[in-house]
Amino acid sequence: MSDQMRIPSGKRVLLTLLGLGVTFITAFVGPTSPAAAAEYDLYSTTYLSLYDRDQAVGEDQQFISLYEYLSLDLWELSGPEWSFHLYGWGRKDLGDDTDDDGAGGSLSSAYAQYSHPEGKRYQLKAGRFYLTEGTASETLDGVFTRGRHTSGLGGAVFGGRPVENSVSSDEEGDLLAGGRISYVLEGFAELGLGYLTEEGDFNGDDRREVGGDLWLRPAEGIEIVGRGLYNLATSGMASYRLAARFGPLPSLDLLVGGEGYRYGDLFQSSLNSAFGFSILDPDDEVTAVFADLDWRFNGRSALRAGIRNIRHDRSDPGDANRGELGVRFTLEGFLDGLGLSAAVQTADLPENEYSQVRGYALKSMGNWTFSLDALTQSYEEEISGEDTVLQVVGSAGRRFSGDLKLSGDIRYTESPNFEEDLAVLVRAEVGL
Amino acid sequence: MRWKGKREMRDVFRFLLPVIGLALIAGCASLSDRPSVPTRHPEELGTGWANCLECHEDETSGALKPYASFVHTTAFLLQHGLYSSRDQDLCASCHRADFCQSCHAPEEELKPSLRMGNRPDLDLPHRGDYLVQHQIDGRVDPGSCVECHGRRNNEKCAVCH
Repeated sequence: MSDQMRIPSGKRVLLTLLGLGVTFITAFVGPTSPAAAAEYDLYSTTYLSLYDRDQAVGEDQQFISLYEYLSLDLWELSGPEWSFHLYGWGRKDLGDDTDDDGAGGSLSSAYAQYSHPEGKRYQLKAGRFYLTEGTASETLDGVFTRGRHTSGLGGAVFGGRPVENSVSSDEEGDLLAGGRISYVLEGFAELGLGYLTEEGDFNGDDRREVGGDLWLRPAEGIEIVGRGLYNLATSGMASYRLAARFGPLPSLDLLVGGEGYRYGDLFQSSLNSAFGFSILDPDDEVTAVFADLDWRFNGRSALRAGIRNIRHDRSDPGDANRGELGVRFTLEGFLDGLGLSAAVQTADLPENEYSQVRGYALKSMGNWTFSLDALTQSYEEEISGEDTVLQVVGSAGRRFSGDLKLSGDIRYTESPNFEEDLAVLVRAEVGL
Repeated sequence: MRWKGKREMRDVFRFLLPVIGLALIAGCASLSDRPSVPTRHPEELGTGWANCLECHEDETSGALKPYASFVHTTAFLLQHGLYSSRDQDLCASCHRADFCQSCHAPEEELKPSLRMGNRPDLDLPHRGDYLVQHQIDGRVDPGSCVECHGRRNNEKCAVCH
């Protein structure tokens, strides 16, 4: 196809979205469709983003970008078992181009789903979808099926072509497949063991992983959750996490746990060059312990406290400790939401130390909604000559008759990247 | 146990994959008869943090886990991957299919806190000028980035890395 005939990728995605949407609405929802009783949910959010960028060399740039996000869910297709789901977005630059094409987009999901309506927890997906199963977290063009036996033994398999936007095309796989077997004891435990392989031109270093996951509830108000991932290609433990949740009261939730990973096994440079070993030491290992407390009071108000200790095997970047305290209120008749939080991180190296304070307020008045959000960060060491960041976001919006909402945000930023930056985002949301 | 060669393992897996798939389909009649998770929550839910226990008793759901496990506390949100990796269908009964992909998309240009700048009450990542903050987070805890920016959504990373 010659360059003159080539359609930019963003337009192609938009055309695909529109075509699929029209096709399926006509086929399944139109007056003459065999499944005219099908229900649908259609959500459209259109964004207009406006901001300037001063350039050190050349003319300053003005960006005016139009985004369209479309989400379509079709239910009750030929019966309650079948549904169809589509999600994607597209961009068109109306001012200066943000990239070489002046347009962009992505079809994130488009798949048909079968879910057994009366039990058995049997599910089938076919198309492009986001999958989480055990330690697998992938977007693929393929199929997924899952079921569980009366004994509690379950299984899942999936396979297809991975949908990836890796740093270089050499990293994208040709085939991704895997499965998971599990055992569930209702209300007490679920154990899972999974396998995943991804083949491609990875310099002879395919992606092969074995993962285990567990959920235990040894007593009321106590849960233990965990996950571990072993990289068969590098013969090393890529990551692990184990945490315990304690809920002595319905309003109290305490989480304590630990996790760890080794760079060489988790990042596997041939697959994740954004985490290349030119900047990271493959032999470095990270272990972290954490605790988080959530206490809910007066309906939807809550107090939150968290601490996290991060340790590195290597002296650079060294260890760090982070603490955070926050509270959010709902003040009936005055504010729909008020939040205040503060965080501080201390570290072996001063370049990793900072503090943060944030506050927000949310107010509804009839069909109008207003919000204000302010965040400031202060760094121990200057970054590009500055040691503070300030961002304030003010928003106002109105709901109109039907399902139309219009809102706009004004965002002011001072940071090492921006002296005084002002950006506007206009948002139109329609739900059918 | 001695691992076989790469080709032998691949052949074994390619044989097992359709066999397991057919077994699952053929064994449909003997599958668990516990109620499935509904594809859509029967009642419309409002905005804000979900507390399942406002309406449900602390009993096991179709996910074979108690409703209390899924109350959207900070602890749950921080570990939501551990729950969604087993019970994604339960998440989907309340959240639209695109909900997960607002963060876990193969490609995304507008970060969630920008798209939802009118919802400061939500716990969303990368608030503020995160390009500055990521220099610290990337040094101290790069593993926290991989879930969303490892095999996908990393074109912006390529600009510098």
